[in-house]
Amino acid sequence: MAVSRRVQLSLVSIFLLVIFGEGIAQALIELGRGERPQALDLFTRTPNAANLRAYETEMEKTAWSAKALRPVMQYARYAGYGDLGEKALIGRDGWLFYRPGVTFLLEPWPQTAATPMPQEDPLEAIVAFRDALAERGIALLVVPAPGKPSVYPERLSGRVARTRTDVHGPTRTFMERLGEAGVSYVDLFTLYREARIADPDAQLYLARDTHWSPAGLRMAASAVADRIRAEGWVAEGAVVYEEKVVTIQRQGDVLRMVDTPRIAAEFELERVDCQQIIETATGEPYHDDPASPVLVLGDSFLRIYERDEPGSAGFIAHLAREMKQSMASIVSDGGASTLVRQELQRKPELLRGKKLVIWEFVERDLRFGMEGWKLVSLPNTETVAAS
Amino acid sequence: MFISARAAHGTCVFLLLLAVLAGCGGSARTDGADPKVTSLGSIEVTAKLVDIIGEFPPNDLYDYAYVLKYEVMQTHRGEAPKTIYVGQYNPLKPRAEAADARSGEIGGNVTAFHAGEVHRIALEVPIDDYCMVGIINKYAEQTQEPIYWAVWTNRVVQ
Repeated sequence: MAVSRRVQLSLVSIFLLVIFGEGIAQALIELGRGERPQALDLFTRTPNAANLRAYETEMEKTAWSAKALRPVMQYARYAGYGDLGEKALIGRDGWLFYRPGVTFLLEPWPQTAATPMPQEDPLEAIVAFRDALAERGIALLVVPAPGKPSVYPERLSGRVARTRTDVHGPTRTFMERLGEAGVSYVDLFTLYREARIADPDAQLYLARDTHWSPAGLRMAASAVADRIRAEGWVAEGAVVYEEKVVTIQRQGDVLRMVDTPRIAAEFELERVDCQQIIETATGEPYHDDPASPVLVLGDSFLRIYERDEPGSAGFIAHLAREMKQSMASIVSDGGASTLVRQELQRKPELLRGKKLVIWEFVERDLRFGMEGWKLVSLPNTETVAAS
Repeated sequence: MFISARAAHGTCVFLLLLAVLAGCGGSARTDGADPKVTSLGSIEVTAKLVDIIGEFPPNDLYDYAYVLKYEVMQTHRGEAPKTIYVGQYNPLKPRAEAADARSGEIGGNVTAFHAGEVHRIALEVPIDDYCMVGIINKYAEQTQEPIYWAVWTNRVVQ
């Protein structure tokens, strides 16, 4: 079949437009803003696979067309199929879940001697940290924080709701390994399960957030304090704290991850009654003391309510109230696996006079923790003392 | 393969347009100075981004700072060694869009980070006094040097 020259040119033009149009339009926009066109990277860098992939990735994130169309497509997927994208899952009764938290529970994750782990073994890093602390006379207490799907599986799936299936996730296996290695830990999974058996409607986690509720963190702080008292690692202090109820409203970090305001607008803000910890003698909200005998390491489960609004109402403050003394802390969102220990390495003064380190991390970070589970040596506190 | 004169002409125009774009971007020499970079922070340097180890993780759930290695070419204010390790907050975002409640005032005109580029940076040190998020430091096992916090990062074209 003969095709006219005009048709041929039109098809070629359309092809070139599809291939290069986006890049050229983006470059013109960037020039208009007085910026260096990103397309220059094609000419200034070696055109190997890695550089071309990097350019493509940056284009996906910064292109005007992607920014304009992504929210529309995201909303269309949500409205048409109830799909919140690659980061979030819609559960039942308006509950939202962080997809990697569910993936952690459902996908195989070998962690026995017979089936070596595909990455650094968290147990190896934890045991090395425990041993290094023990050499300095410091105890270690590990606190794996349950992910929301472990505590509320029936909010994720109607099948679980019907069968009342208990979740036996990889963290239980990991805690057994901790026990076999002689590492002290607090089992919040059993604690929360028993709390939900006693009161099935107990709100231990937020509906549209990955984190625990004020009730959930208070329960955790109380259990950790009980363990500290039982082991006699640290004596109670004499500081008197009291609670003040402060109500906040949270959109929830799962909706933040979806990053589509039109979808977020369809969910009401979650009203949360927090118990802020106030030092009775001063009337001031709780604050850390780096000289405390207790150092708390952890992730965003420690940050929520404590450094976020309303402040001084998180796990650390409530543990301080239980133990009647201030705590020292290092908090790193998503970084409890390795980053907190690297930060401790940069802050050797935080180890001085310590009797106990409490190490909290959310269970999914056993597999997905930022920077994995690297071996990190302890800082030299003698140098600090001398200086 | 037969290519008509018109097609060849179109191809030439297209390549010329790309070259013009490249020329526009490449010829805009700048030392990166502006009122922000010359006043914020306690240290100000012009430095070459030596390398970026690994890939920046997505920050849709977590905010973080990523440590980059720079070779200092010129120190404008304060003191800095020849090699510095600088934490950039959420480096996947253009500097002009990166600031939020946790970062405090940061910014600049760098849109993306590439090894080999030169930046004029206003800095603070140590990073832990200014940065309230996780710090991803791929150099942690190589050096114990203090990490700087990038307050303002502008592009330099020489």
